[in-house]
Amino acid sequence: MKLTKLRSYKTLVAALLFLAPFMILYVWFWIYPIFKGFISSFQSGVFGGEQKFVGLDNYSFMMGDPKFWTSFGNTIYFIIISTPAAVILGLILALLVNMKLKGTTFLRTMYFMPYMLSVSVMGSIWLFILQSRTGLIAEITRSLGMKEISFLGSWEMGWLSILIATIWWTVGFNMILFLAGLQEIPEDIYEASDIDGASGWKKFWYITMPSLKGVTALVVILQSISSFKLFGQTWLITKGGPGTSTTPLVHYIYQIAFRQWDMGYASAVSFVLFLTIAFISLVQFKFLMKD
Amino acid sequence: MLIIQRSKINRILSYFLAYFLMIIMLLPLIWMILSAFKEPGSTVTVVKNLIAPPFTLESFARVLKPDGTAMMWRWTLNSVLVGLVQTAITIILSSWAAYAVSRIPFKGKTFVFALILAGMMVPMESIVVPLFEMIANLGWVNSYNALIWPGMMLPLAFLILKQFIDQLPNELLEAARIDGAGTFRIWWSIVWPLSTSSMAAVSIFIFISSWNNLLWPMLVAQETAMMTLPVGVPTFQSTFATDLAVPMASNVLASLPALIVFLLFQRNIIKGISMTGIK
Repeated sequence: MKLTKLRSYKTLVAALLFLAPFMILYVWFWIYPIFKGFISSFQSGVFGGEQKFVGLDNYSFMMGDPKFWTSFGNTIYFIIISTPAAVILGLILALLVNMKLKGTTFLRTMYFMPYMLSVSVMGSIWLFILQSRTGLIAEITRSLGMKEISFLGSWEMGWLSILIATIWWTVGFNMILFLAGLQEIPEDIYEASDIDGASGWKKFWYITMPSLKGVTALVVILQSISSFKLFGQTWLITKGGPGTSTTPLVHYIYQIAFRQWDMGYASAVSFVLFLTIAFISLVQFKFLMKD
Repeated sequence: MLIIQRSKINRILSYFLAYFLMIIMLLPLIWMILSAFKEPGSTVTVVKNLIAPPFTLESFARVLKPDGTAMMWRWTLNSVLVGLVQTAITIILSSWAAYAVSRIPFKGKTFVFALILAGMMVPMESIVVPLFEMIANLGWVNSYNALIWPGMMLPLAFLILKQFIDQLPNELLEAARIDGAGTFRIWWSIVWPLSTSSMAAVSIFIFISSWNNLLWPMLVAQETAMMTLPVGVPTFQSTFATDLAVPMASNVLASLPALIVFLLFQRNIIKGISMTGIK
């Protein structure tokens, strides 16, 4: 009796010792900031100055703030344009790599390579390709006697530039996810359909696609989350412009907090970002838990 | 496995498409590398200039010149140091916590697990504002403390390692316990060595995301000497208005460590991504 009590006491101490370092760091730098941010979203005052309680003022201001809605709308717009591109191109690359062509490993390595560049290098390369006058494409169109395409001068072209750069950078990642999904499809399903005389397209529509439903959902969710976190690309390539036309949510939070030093309002917008991503992640959990 | 197995034409078309897409994917990289070997100030946007000699290392020399504008060595060192320390701490602490939650019975376990799981839903981007205030109040701006402690991917590492530890056969751990091994001993001699493959996957993941982090280091590393590569390189490049050769040389230098690591460990990296499946 005494021994088991001693043992359970000892295991409790052990559990505490194993958990404590993790929990201290985690609560300090993940959990506490959420609460701190939540509280300061009800306050007003510049960074370092006195904070006043203002109730829901920040939130009601947000509802009427056209810049907030622009950046929120921009973020949604980017999800809408980037998700199909990420899914379709990722899938095409995965199918090509899965075909056992000669040099498959080499192809896979090369497709994936851009993902290893840091966001700054990637942004810089694309800025130099797309920028007006001194950019690579500007020079090529000039030498061909064509009119210069203004990639960074309008809302549509600005987002197209961000889209091209992002897809080029991350498509290899999606390819790997699709590839893992493709390799899980058992061969004998295809063999059975061969006996039934199914054509290549039929097999693709009725075997491959349904088997990839889970992976596709994962890619869609990850793409949505990373679109909500979009910052580096717009920061480096379009600088959020022209005007605010390519400013996504995180970029706007940066401007409020670290240009205007309005920490209260920035916290309120951050909290909305947190709630949105938390909601998408909950959906993601449902998928991950099923596996 | 193959979808369009039968027709030869389809196969030839696939080859064409596969290698065509590869060239498209590589063009920006090839351009970056060729430009970097051109003289500072030369026109690197004209293909004819680009592929014809002379090639020179002058642009690299300009980037590495120790005049304080570009501190490539220092930034690389900072990035590597922050990445390695974050990875090591995350892996060890998460492995302990995952082991405790998975294998040690204690009260409040469900609460602890739910609390950590909830962290998966919190993106770093949504807490940078309060985090910055905390770090500023601690007087940590422009310090390694600020670069390292916030933003470690603890919940993700915890979750993946816990999934692995859950699968370890109970008999293995019980046998060790009967042999008189204590809790720490069991972790050290059984759990830790057995989970190396999942830890490798998680490590790669944590390192890449740390290596790539732009927003947070940009906020807390304001002095040139404290910057990481993603922060320092654009700062350096913004001082060049029309010259693309020198900025491209800095891009090449900034990419070298990651590309070398990738070419050496690509098998593990690719396996790691298909295992974790988190961006």
